[in-house]
Amino acid sequence: MSTHERGARVEFRGLTKRFGGFTAVDDLTFTVEPGRITGFLGPNGAGKTTSLRMALGLVRPTSGTVTIDGQAYADLADPLGTVGAALEATNFHPGRSGRDHLRVLAATSGIPATRVDEMLELTGIPAFARRRAGAYSMGMRQRLALAAALLGDPRVLVLDEPANGLDPEGIRWLRGFLSMLSREQGKTVLVSSHLLQEIAQTADDVVIIANGRLVRQGSVADLDGDAHVVVRTSEPTALAAALEQAGLSAVPEEEGALLVHTDDLRRVGEAAHAAGLPVWELSRRRADLESLFFSLTEGTNRNLGSEQPGAASGAGEVA
Amino acid sequence: MASAVRAELLKFLTTRLWWGMAIAVVVAGAVFAGLFAWVLTSAPEGAGGPGGVPGGDAVQVANSVYTGGLSVGYLLMLTIGVMQIGSEYRHHTITSTFLAQPRRARVMAAKVVALLVIGVGYGLLSLVGSVVVGAIGLDLVGEDPFPSTEILRTLALSLLVLGLWALIGLGVGILIPNQVAALLIGVGVAWIVEPLLGLAFRAFEFGREHIAPYMPTEATNAIVNAVESGPDSVRLSWWGGALVLTAWAALLAGVGSLLTVRRDVS
Repeated sequence: MSTHERGARVEFRGLTKRFGGFTAVDDLTFTVEPGRITGFLGPNGAGKTTSLRMALGLVRPTSGTVTIDGQAYADLADPLGTVGAALEATNFHPGRSGRDHLRVLAATSGIPATRVDEMLELTGIPAFARRRAGAYSMGMRQRLALAAALLGDPRVLVLDEPANGLDPEGIRWLRGFLSMLSREQGKTVLVSSHLLQEIAQTADDVVIIANGRLVRQGSVADLDGDAHVVVRTSEPTALAAALEQAGLSAVPEEEGALLVHTDDLRRVGEAAHAAGLPVWELSRRRADLESLFFSLTEGTNRNLGSEQPGAASGAGEVA
Repeated sequence: MASAVRAELLKFLTTRLWWGMAIAVVVAGAVFAGLFAWVLTSAPEGAGGPGGVPGGDAVQVANSVYTGGLSVGYLLMLTIGVMQIGSEYRHHTITSTFLAQPRRARVMAAKVVALLVIGVGYGLLSLVGSVVVGAIGLDLVGEDPFPSTEILRTLALSLLVLGLWALIGLGVGILIPNQVAALLIGVGVAWIVEPLLGLAFRAFEFGREHIAPYMPTEATNAIVNAVESGPDSVRLSWWGGALVLTAWAALLAGVGSLLTVRRDVS
């Protein structure tokens, strides 16, 4: 895996942050690869934002390092041209227009003013950007933050909860936009979220943390697991034999159901039909990322009052 | 470095603060010049202020007239200094500032330079108001508007005074992280508490000779060589005052910058 020409590899090495006796981030080690979208997942308060802030030189790590192509953020010769970050939706002066906010950033890095207007065009807020930022909706703030992140045409994009406050149309736009940036332009994209479904469709890799610790990392394809079919019939053993004959492996589940290692509903149905067995249920099941996410992070949320994993639609969901 | 200074100036010029302050500075300069031209010349010639009216020679009178708005001016500059950093923390723009330039010492240096530039700019605006109105006022009451070239030195130094007070504001804005509190405390101390302390120190000999002259307000008065409030007050020379005020600015802005460079931004 060589470093992509347009991206940069971001390496977290033993990153730790303690606030007094509280360990916010605990020995975090993972690598974010160029040309891919990496989802940085964890419940609220898991330490995502603190980790990202340490990566960007805003918060001093207690120990450990984060490097961007081998360099710490503070040592980058051209910070905005290397990493573009959108950390919070609220970091604009309410009395300054969005466009002026970008002009200030552009002035710092010697980026031409024409680039400011290009980015406003690209993120779809050219008209609003001339108004004072105090009147912006959450969605507009997110788009402005994204425009700011893209200002220097960076090789790495770091986005903290970028879908917060976006309407469904905005979320779809964001997904397409991030795919374009990573796949076509080869940028490294690191997106944090506490909601898996927001990035499960877009991300190539995921890094899951809970209580400041890494709990799982890998490609979405690996973690997603293989597809299975659940079939229920009157005589499970007979059906298992019939499936075996059809070249499908099946394992018994509770209440007489069979779990078949395939995602082809039709083959399972045809095997049952050929064996003359009634089909009471035939459905696809995914040992999916979402159930993995919940099982890994459930009950570990150290922050009282944050949202419950109530919408646990993960395991056993009928597709 | 030049780009960082430009960015700081752009920050200042892209909110509505700057022109409100500009109007205030010009008006304060003009109003106080008019007022001082009338009050200071109504005292008996050369008297040390028997009726509670401070006195001085013609040069001191002219100095006081032209820099009459300075006491308001430096409070406004203190405000600007506090807000140049305070609003960054308040609205979290400090995050984007340090992302664009992670070498924080450079950011702070750029703020210092920008505030000195802003101080000189507002100083010029203030002088437009005070010199026009003050010269006309002095002329009307029959005083020489320009008795000495020392006046020019005073005018030039008043620009420095404003820049230095902006730096004091920068320090205050960092040391008191809550911007509203920083503004209230900063202006309250500079305007009321510190002059009262100065008075208190003058009550005993050691304080009068070794503490009071080194207070920021008294140093400011020494720089512009304004009329004196009492014949027995000990005052630094103009350059001594300039050094003392510079030391105050360096201390506050320096300590503040050091804190900013080390502090986590979350």
